[in-house]
Amino acid sequence: MRDQGSRKDARPLAVAVAVAIVALALGLSACGGGTVGGGNDEEVTTAKAGDVAGALTISTWPGYVDPGKNGTVAEFEKKTGVKVDYIEDVNENEAFFGKLQPQLEQGQSGGRSIFVVTDWMAKQMYDLGYLQEIDHNDLPTVFENLLPTLQSPSFDPERKFSVPWQSGMGGIWVDTAKAPGIRSVNDLFDPKYKGKVTMLGELRETVPLVMLAEGVDPVEATNEDWLNAVDRIGKAAESGQIRRFTGNDYTEDLTAGNIVAAIGWSGDASLIENPNAEWRMPTQGCSLWSDNMVIPVGAPNTAAALGWMDFAYQPEVAVDVTEYVEYISPVEGVQDILRERGSELAESELTFPSAEFTRNCTDQDSPPDLEPVNEAWQAVITG
Amino acid sequence: MSLRQRLVPYGLLGPGLLWLVVFFVVPMYFMGELALRSGSLTSGYTFDWAWSNFPDSLSGHTEQIGRSFLFAGTATILALLIAYPLAYAIAFRAGRYRSLLLFAVIAPFFTTYLIRTIAWKTILSDSSPLVSVLQTLALVPPDGRVLATSGAVIAGLTYNFLPFMVLPLYANLERLDLRLVEAAKDLYSSSRQAFVRVTLPLTMPGIVAGVLLTFIPAFGDYINAQILGGTQQAMVGNVIQSLYLNQRNYPEAAALSFLMMALILVVVSVYIRFAGTGAFMGSEGEED
Repeated sequence: MRDQGSRKDARPLAVAVAVAIVALALGLSACGGGTVGGGNDEEVTTAKAGDVAGALTISTWPGYVDPGKNGTVAEFEKKTGVKVDYIEDVNENEAFFGKLQPQLEQGQSGGRSIFVVTDWMAKQMYDLGYLQEIDHNDLPTVFENLLPTLQSPSFDPERKFSVPWQSGMGGIWVDTAKAPGIRSVNDLFDPKYKGKVTMLGELRETVPLVMLAEGVDPVEATNEDWLNAVDRIGKAAESGQIRRFTGNDYTEDLTAGNIVAAIGWSGDASLIENPNAEWRMPTQGCSLWSDNMVIPVGAPNTAAALGWMDFAYQPEVAVDVTEYVEYISPVEGVQDILRERGSELAESELTFPSAEFTRNCTDQDSPPDLEPVNEAWQAVITG
Repeated sequence: MSLRQRLVPYGLLGPGLLWLVVFFVVPMYFMGELALRSGSLTSGYTFDWAWSNFPDSLSGHTEQIGRSFLFAGTATILALLIAYPLAYAIAFRAGRYRSLLLFAVIAPFFTTYLIRTIAWKTILSDSSPLVSVLQTLALVPPDGRVLATSGAVIAGLTYNFLPFMVLPLYANLERLDLRLVEAAKDLYSSSRQAFVRVTLPLTMPGIVAGVLLTFIPAFGDYINAQILGGTQQAMVGNVIQSLYLNQRNYPEAAALSFLMMALILVVVSVYIRFAGTGAFMGSEGEED
């Protein structure tokens, strides 16, 4: 009886508690409300230069610099006294952007002072007002040593907000023991290799390569061309021709011998433990891209960020980076130093591709109307 | 009764309520609000009661939702078939090895979920010894594979959620009054009859709890499909991830998440109504 009584008495209290909860929820929501997306409306700022000291946080791709005790990062720390937090949390441009976008929208960089992202992503961030501009006077070494071919890319003709970290090529990795004949992206659709082929999940990497293979110039391609290529890939995925869509982890499938070929990047040899694996320039051409250092809005210690950029553009430093990562260096003079050191990399078409080697290659581009193409592409990937 | 006395239960509820408000009510509110916005990343998403996000988020994704039911359902049944005998053996036959065996069930948790799943990628890779054995036994065709198939995803789900099935079953079996089984046998039931009529009904609460703890997380899981699956094996979790991170269609991602929660809630309620015992209706304590 006593129990029942107390329950009855408690009813108004229960209502009061419920009301309090709702009120609290609404109150909290008021702090975080407003619009979602739409870009940062504040005026574009220029990254401030100054004393290179303090702490610096960099977000980048895995294996993109030697983080070891005698590596490039340690050298910078020793020279400047800056404490570097080097995070390898960029695995895919889209996913990285997706994770940080809500913070960037609020004018915060998640404590990071530098991101390393691909050309089109740098442009997308800049257009949304998520990046700071860079004054060339603050980066004398960078602009003295930046390769002429990289000085005015179409996405940032004056290099106002991006500084290349490394460049690379998208093409085909082939297990030469199992599929010596694969030379074109079209060969990846050969039923002989059913279920033994992977492609990258990056829209701007895989689809242009397939368009090139079909004789379509990705730069001139219409939305329909993009959708046709997506459709072709979709049918191959449905039939089981394509085993799966990957990020950088295609290297694991090549190492384990699960696949005979993959669409992949030119500098990944060090990640593939398979002596028969070979990167091949697709017959109809490759994709060319750079990953760029950018300074996000709200970045702490931009002075140290600029200091790191200028430091990395000294040829003696850049050469160490090249020897470690085996991608294409944006710094003039690296090849000469490598020759002096007697490194094989100096003569490799993968680290120093000639104009002849990349004659059919194309810059990474977005489709004219991104949304429908991306939607179709994601439908293929999560088919 | 004084006001103070009446407030005591609420005071005791306080920490739990606060937890629920901060980590459940508030996020749900934000998600619900997001699900009713429309726009694009460049123009911004504005709140305008865009109910159409809900039907839109389902279109083109029904196949993955069906697949999620199929995969999670199969994994739950497999986990039950594996876990029940295992929990039974640990509870009644393990003797002094009982703690050790229980520890063995929990031990995989000392490694992160992701690492364990990636390890299966190596174990199931095309040229692995396990796959050659399966090929020799003709369980897998000679040129067939295990990795990047539906089978691999289901196996991964079963493996990863098995402890969630074993532990409630064990807790339930361990409390089982064996005198009731003896009584059944005294009344001339066979072992099988005693199991079906006494043990099984008495362990239904454990089964229900295990099925829920396995099915619900397995349904929303996307790691197994991403790591162990290939093309045509994406589950609804992968779709939500893609909507959120790759298409940045936040409203539709939120709407789809909401719908999946509602769907699971309905399925689970129906399940508890029919399969359930008093355990979840709050009447279990009355037996004592």
